[in-house]
Amino acid sequence: MAIVARSSKFSRIMWPTVAWIVALIFFFPIFWMVFTSFKTDADAVKPEFLFSFKPTLENYFNMTENYDYWRFAANSVITSSFATILALVVGVPAAYAMAFNPSRHTKDILVWMLSTKMLPAAAVLYPMTFLTKNMLGIYDTHFLVIVVLCLINLPIVIWMLFTYFKEIPKEIIEAGKMDGVDTWGEIKDILIPLAWGGVASTALLCFIFCWNEAYWTVRLTTTEAATLSKLIEGNRAPEGLFFGRLSAVSTAAVGPIIVLGWFCQKQLVQGLTFGAVK
Amino acid sequence: MAHAQRPSQLFRNLSAKIAAIPMIFTALVVFVGGTLWTITYSFTGSKLLPKKIFEWFDLFSIPVPSWIAKDGALDFSIPVGFVEKSFVGLKQYDRLWGENRWLISIENLFIYGICSLIFSLLIGFILAALLDQKIRFENTFRTILLYPFALSFIVTGLVWQWLLNPEFGVQSVIRDLGWSGFTFDPLYNAEIVIFGILFAGLWQGTGFIMCLMLAGLRGIDEDIWKAARVDGIPMWKTYIFIVIPMMRPVFITTLVIIAAGIVKVYDLVVAQTSGGPGIASEVPAKYVYDKMFQAQNLGQGFAASTMMLLSVMIVLIPWAYLEFGGKKKNG
Repeated sequence: MAIVARSSKFSRIMWPTVAWIVALIFFFPIFWMVFTSFKTDADAVKPEFLFSFKPTLENYFNMTENYDYWRFAANSVITSSFATILALVVGVPAAYAMAFNPSRHTKDILVWMLSTKMLPAAAVLYPMTFLTKNMLGIYDTHFLVIVVLCLINLPIVIWMLFTYFKEIPKEIIEAGKMDGVDTWGEIKDILIPLAWGGVASTALLCFIFCWNEAYWTVRLTTTEAATLSKLIEGNRAPEGLFFGRLSAVSTAAVGPIIVLGWFCQKQLVQGLTFGAVK
Repeated sequence: MAHAQRPSQLFRNLSAKIAAIPMIFTALVVFVGGTLWTITYSFTGSKLLPKKIFEWFDLFSIPVPSWIAKDGALDFSIPVGFVEKSFVGLKQYDRLWGENRWLISIENLFIYGICSLIFSLLIGFILAALLDQKIRFENTFRTILLYPFALSFIVTGLVWQWLLNPEFGVQSVIRDLGWSGFTFDPLYNAEIVIFGILFAGLWQGTGFIMCLMLAGLRGIDEDIWKAARVDGIPMWKTYIFIVIPMMRPVFITTLVIIAAGIVKVYDLVVAQTSGGPGIASEVPAKYVYDKMFQAQNLGQGFAASTMMLLSVMIVLIPWAYLEFGGKKKNG
């Protein structure tokens, strides 16, 4: 920002150009994927590049007819939405308590929660599979996927909500208390309306993370509760095979997120930077 | 007033406690339980779990393993007996560190980790500084750079598998354009395959790092820039000696996020190379998974995951202590 004042004509043209070249490079792989999804499997592996092919929707028809795309998509929507709602229901009171009634250990608890994100999932995968499959019998159910997705994202959700809530002046909450508003009222009528942007960003981000989660959803489901990640995983083939089809599946799996992200740019950026970018 | 506050105080603590239950549950059952299990079985020579642990009876029509007695008390004699019988001490670890595949996994993770750390920070910061120069359509630019981060690792891996394929990816496109000697096939070259995976990882994560850095840059007072300019300090010096030290908290958040991403490289490897060519791009998480679910060699898998846990602890504990243990004393 500060350099703008003394920037020459040269740099005023150069920086945006460089920036847009970078943006193009970054966007190219996504473009390629969408592009390939309109090619037949045979066309997809031909070395001739861009425009020497006939665009076709065959892959998409194939996907919806033979691979039950809508069931996977429905599962993704159901599990991601409910996991997000559950995470917010649990996370809002927790973040509220931490932000407005911090104890000596609040910071430690936050750090500890975040540190669980860094543990290698591989170390607990076997016990988890065993527990859910053989002991609880909830393997491959929506319930399990929702709980797991919620638990995975809960640390991030609480942390984000905590940073947003912390920005709200304590006095406002206290004023509410003076007026005899109870805790639930404080959360519902004061906190959430005030931190609405933050809550929305958190929800959006949580939803995206749930949608993308592959490690656990692929391994804790087979058919019943399988999400789009599982569909992609199942369609993976040895190199060079079915690229058109696989692109279509991938495009259809990330499409909703790309669209959602475009319309919620502000929330997405705000969410990802924990509100620091205004 | 004090009267009115009392119950809400109580309820507030209650809500905090209720909110903490799922976390505590996960921590106990999944992390502590799973970790203990993992560590214990890493000292056994088990190929598969013993049959007896799989025997069930109905307790309130919920299937319960037979070593949980009817009154709910735990009878550990079966699992304990099993561990005793198949106890092999450190033999699994011995074998682990003697296995080439594991050594390659460790080396790969190390290279990937270091490079991803350096390049994410470097590229992320440069891009953020670039974007800080007041560029039109800044939001669109930022969203485009963030898109990769909104894609799952599996999709990222697949896309880059295609891009880096020598027959129809970047290599063939550039050869088509006339440079016929051009070679760019990192995924098919055992020497550099891990860098092919690094490309995908950087593509996915850098936009996010950039956003964090940009947030940090925007948080720096305009006056500092002005002061530096008045003093005639060149721009790059201002960045290195003034701005970056001021952004320490942002850098720490970024480091944590990058570290969490490094642990997750598994999905990327599986989607891009499945560990190939040969075993050149194996990573520890994949080793663990393959030993447990494919090779049915549980003891070995558990030993490997114990090593992973241990290394995470070695990194995490000093960091948490330095970052948060010291501050507590001050305030």
